[in-house]
Parts: sequence; structure tokens; C-alpha cells
Amino acid sequence: MTPLIEANRVSRTLADPEPFTLVCDASLSVAPGEMVAIVGPSGCGKSSLLYLLGLLDRPTSGSISIDGRVTEDLGEAERTHIRLERIGYVFQFHFLLPELTALANVALPMRRLARLTGDQIAERAAALLEKVGLGDGAGKRPERMSGGERQRVAIARALANDPAILLSDEPTGNLDSANTRMVIAEFQRLAHEEGRGVVCVTHDATVAAAADRRIHMLDGRIVAGD
Amino acid sequence: MKGLMVLLDVAAAHLLMRVRQTVVAVAGVGVGVGFFLAVSGMMIGSQNDFIKTLIDSAPHIVASDEQRSAARQPALDAFPQAAVTVRGVRPQDEVRGLKDWPALLADARAIPGAVAAPTLVGAVAVRFAGRTEAVSLNGIDPRIEGKLAKIEESLIGGRLIDLEARPDGIIVTRPMADRLGAHVGDTLVVSSSAGTLQRMRIVALVDPDARAGFYAGDIAGYGLLRTAQVLFARPNVVNQIHVRLPNPQTAERDAARLEARWGYKWVSWEERSRDILNLLVVRDVIMYAVISAILVVASFGIYTAVSNSVADKRRDIAILRAMGFTERDVQVIFLAEGLAVGLIGVLVGFGLGTLLLEALSHAPLTMGGKPLVLPLDRGLRQYAVAGGASLVAALIAAWLPARKAASVDPVEILRGAA
Ligand SMILES: Nc1ncnc2c1ncn2[C@@H]1O[C@H](COP(=O)(O)OP(=O)(O)OP(=O)(O)O)[C@@H](O)[C@H]1O
Ligand SMILES: [Mg+2]
Repeated sequence: MTPLIEANRVSRTLADPEPFTLVCDASLSVAPGEMVAIVGPSGCGKSSLLYLLGLLDRPTSGSISIDGRVTEDLGEAERTHIRLERIGYVFQFHFLLPELTALANVALPMRRLARLTGDQIAERAAALLEKVGLGDGAGKRPERMSGGERQRVAIARALANDPAILLSDEPTGNLDSANTRMVIAEFQRLAHEEGRGVVCVTHDATVAAAADRRIHMLDGRIVAGD
Repeated sequence: MKGLMVLLDVAAAHLLMRVRQTVVAVAGVGVGVGFFLAVSGMMIGSQNDFIKTLIDSAPHIVASDEQRSAARQPALDAFPQAAVTVRGVRPQDEVRGLKDWPALLADARAIPGAVAAPTLVGAVAVRFAGRTEAVSLNGIDPRIEGKLAKIEESLIGGRLIDLEARPDGIIVTRPMADRLGAHVGDTLVVSSSAGTLQRMRIVALVDPDARAGFYAGDIAGYGLLRTAQVLFARPNVVNQIHVRLPNPQTAERDAARLEARWGYKWVSWEERSRDILNLLVVRDVIMYAVISAILVVASFGIYTAVSNSVADKRRDIAILRAMGFTERDVQVIFLAEGLAVGLIGVLVGFGLGTLLLEALSHAPLTMGGKPLVLPLDRGLRQYAVAGGASLVAALIAAWLPARKAASVDPVEILRGAA
């Protein structure tokens, strides 16, 4: 089975203002149906690695394949299209568009992809919100939602275009334990029942324990995995 | 275009969240466009009115028995190889007048729709009640001259055709009559340089208002062509031909053609009014400079609005990019914001401009006691120019911030926030 993500000796260094290595020689792969946690001390390069895996950033050396397709030689437009179609992002701070309702936020990626009709998009957005337990909050703006609710809207939005890959950076960093449990359960369901590849950068031991595998990082390097 | 609507929706959401700034930017464009329409309406309207007066108040072409350059001296032709200078030329006392004038007249009349009239102009002295004034007497054919220009409307106390009934009739300007102390019906003693003396009776006066133009020169006077020929002792001589064309725009070309064919000086209304027309060009340049300045100021409003929007929305831009929106998508969003402000502003401006023009057309203005209706140009052209220029200005103003938005690096923003 082709891995969803395959990173092969990936490095990312900065030249300015002084040479600095964010990620060094990292190799990993993520298969469909598994939930992987990336753990390590603050500043070790977890987020940097996640940006590389999600094609938001380009490695200075090494290569990353998505669905078995090498991405280094692709232009920005193609990489962006892969993000739109195959990858969903969830960040620690929900990053919803404040002007739009929950439903409109969830609809954004679908409207951009424009594969469904307007009615189908509205229907699917409502269904996704229903799944994360926000069936009646569809018309609310982010400012009138709690942190947990916003994070659930962000998860629903990440799943809008039915991506094979879900990347998340400290998704529970701002949540209480009840919401954290809910997010863990959702991620496990997405991996185990829906067969997606879920990658989760986390400090939270419960989240890490709930993952199928843990990748440990230190100073930009992957030091251990289980 | 697939997926464009979502970009426009995001743009609209941005604008609606910043109502105050959006309203200010829209108002800037609206006021700019509104005043553009009002100012250009007045300027172009008055200019068109002025040119129309210029055209209607005088023959479109006047041919006279003058040459543009001095006659060639025979000595120059006799010694073509030699270096000849001729000084102190004393001209023969030639009989002035247009040679072959019936042929010239016929040629001018050959232009389809053209009207042409022969005229003999000369200086006379006019005496009345012991006072003497110099008058430039135009011997005309009243039937034709009346069709040439709107002199008839400027006459008081009589009509042009009255000259035909009274071969000894004369028409002078009202100021001239005032100076002489004469009125319609009074008899003047007219003497020419040829030594002829004739009693002529005033049949009408020219009121020197704007419309009379050419015909209301202070010392102008009008009589029958036949009478003038007798007075100047030049039977059957004509020294001017006045031409009116169906389309005044061809005057310059027709004059040049006739001049090339016949010699003599054929002066079009454009040549006669060149100085004034040049002034109008200067006026146009000033007008468009002022109007462009208004539009530039309006586009600053758009630039500020879009710039602030971009600065505010860096987080949103980062998340849109992470979600799979391209750099171009982001650029389109902010360009659309600028364009939307421009478009709404233009519509507001059309409304405002139309109201201003309407108000101006009803302005209770007077001039010399008479009510004055401002000549206004309300042509669609002005609306198109104002709208087009504003939209282009809006696009340019939004372009720079939109470029900046497109170049936002999402990773940088995400790092800073997460
Ligand atoms: N633009 C930059 N210039 C210099 N150093 C940077 C820059 N961006 C990140 N870093 C450094 O790179 C290292 C890796 O950052 P990264 O955000 O990947 O760490 P992290 O593991 O996600 O940390 P945390 O757990 O605190 O989120 C950090 O030491 C950080 O200070
Ligand atoms: Mg991090």
C-alpha cells in the first residue's frame, strides 16, 4: 500500500539572519488508517516538520511524496491544489475567518474546489458540523463560540474536501479535558474508521498515548519512533 | 470561472466588516465622480455653446481680395539665377476686388448644401446732426446673407429684407447709432473715398449681443451690394465672398482647397478664431488636470482601505493559503475589494453628478437682467469617461496592496501565532 506521506531525509535550514537548522535529516512515512503523534520539547522543530509535510514550506534538501507523488518539482499552483484536495489542517488556534458563520467557514474549501453544487456544499457542511456535535451552531460567528466549539468547526473545515491526510498542530493546546477527549476520539475515528492518515503534533501525553505511533524529535532531528 | 464566487464573498465579507472605512472610500470616489460630471458638464457645455456661437454668428468661410504673401516681383522672374533683392516696392494702384468672382462664387456654391454670398466692403464716413463716424460698409445680398448666419435674430427695429425694399437703406450697430444720436428711420449722409455722397436711411440696428458676433463689429454697417458698388464707384466689383457650409467641421479643408484653386485668402472660422480655440485647449488641459487630481485623491481612499484590509487579514490570508487557496486567489480577493469600492463609488457618483447637473440647470442665474440658462453637457460620454477612469484608478490603487497580500508567507504567520 502506498504511504500517504513519505518523507525521505528531509532538512530545512534558514540562511537569515544566521544559519539555523529547523529540521535535519528527517525520514518518516504515514500510512492510511493510522494516527501518528509527533512529540518533543518546545522549539525542537515539530511545527516546522508539519509545514514541510503539508507542502506549506519547501525542504532545503530531501524529498517528500504525497500519495506516492514526488512534490519537490511541482509548482506552487500544483502544491496548493494538493493542499486543497488531499490535506486538511487543524491548528492550535482555530484560525476561522471571523466574518463568516461556522457553516460558511466549513464551506470555504468546498466552494474553492467547486466540485459540488451550492446545495450539496451547504448540505455537506451542515453534516460535517453535525458530526462534530455542532448541528445547531451552524449560523454562529466564531466570536460567539467557545474555544472548544471553534476547534470543532476547524476540524469540520479541515475535512470539508474529504482529504486523505489530516495534519494538526497542538489541536488540544487550548482545550479542557472534555474537549480534548472529544478531539482524540474524533481523530481516532478518522484514522481507524475512515482510513485517513492523521498526523498530530502534541505536548499532551493523553493525545500522544492515543496515537498508534509516536515520533520523538530533538533539535530538529527524529531521535526515536515506536 | 469556477470558485470565483467564494473569493468575491470573502471580499464582500471583509468590506462589510469595516463599514466605516468602506463608506469613506466609497464616498471619496462618489464625490470625485460627481464633481467630475458637474465640472466637465459645465466646461464642455459652455465650450460647445461658445463654439456654436462662434460658428453660427459668422460665415464659415470668408474669402477676401488679399494674398497670404506679397505678389512676386517681375525682376525675380526675369533673372531666375541671380540674387535679386527688391526694396521699396510701390504697388500700382490696382483695382481691388476679387477677379472672376462669379466663378469663385459658383465654385463655393458647388459644395453640396453650401450657401455663398458676394459682398463689397469698404470704408465710409457717416454724418448725422453734425457728428461724423467711420463705418465699414458691407454691401450685401440680404436674401442670401440672411441664410449665412444668425444676423436676423440680432436686428432691432427692422429686418434684413427691408434693404431690398429701400435701396438707400442702411443698417448700423446700436452703439454707433447711439453715438450719432440717430434712430431707425433717420437719414444719414454717407460719403466714400471715391468722393460719392449719398443719403441713406437707417432701416434697422444690430444689437451687439454674443450671437451677432462677426456682424456686430463696432463700426460695421450694412447696405445693398448694388448701393455699395455705386457708392464706391466700382460697378460689378466684389471683394469678399461669404460661405456657409452644411457641416462647419469641413470649413478648414474646404477653405484650403478653394484657396489653392483660386489664390486669394479663404479664411475658415477656425482660422479666424485660432487664438480663442487655442485658449479652449488650455482650458481643457486645466480641467482634466483638476479632474485627474480629484480621481487620484479618491484612489488614495481605495488604496488605504485595501491596504488596511490586507494588514488586518494576514492571519486569514495564511489560513486561506494553508487551506488550498492560491496566491492568485488572494490577490483576486483584494483586487475585488478595491474594484467593488470603485464600482459602488462610481454609481454613487453618477447619482450625485446627475443631481448636481440637474440643480445647475435650474440655478436662478441672470446676466444683464436676462435669465441665463447654463449650457450643460450631459452626454453619456462624460459618464463613461468618469466611470472608466475611476475603475482604472481603483484597480491600480488596489493592485499594490493585493500584490502584497498574495506574497504573504503563510508559514511566517502560522509560526508567529501558533
Ligand atoms: N524565522 C525563524 N528564524 C529563526 N529561527 C526560527 C524561525 N522560525 C522558527 N525558528 C526556530 O526554529 C525552531 C523550531 O521551531 P518550531 O516552531 O518548529 O518548534 P516546535 O517544535 O513547533 O516548538 P513548539 O513546541 O514550541 O511549538 C525554534 O527553536 C524556533 O525558535
Ligand atoms: Mg510548534
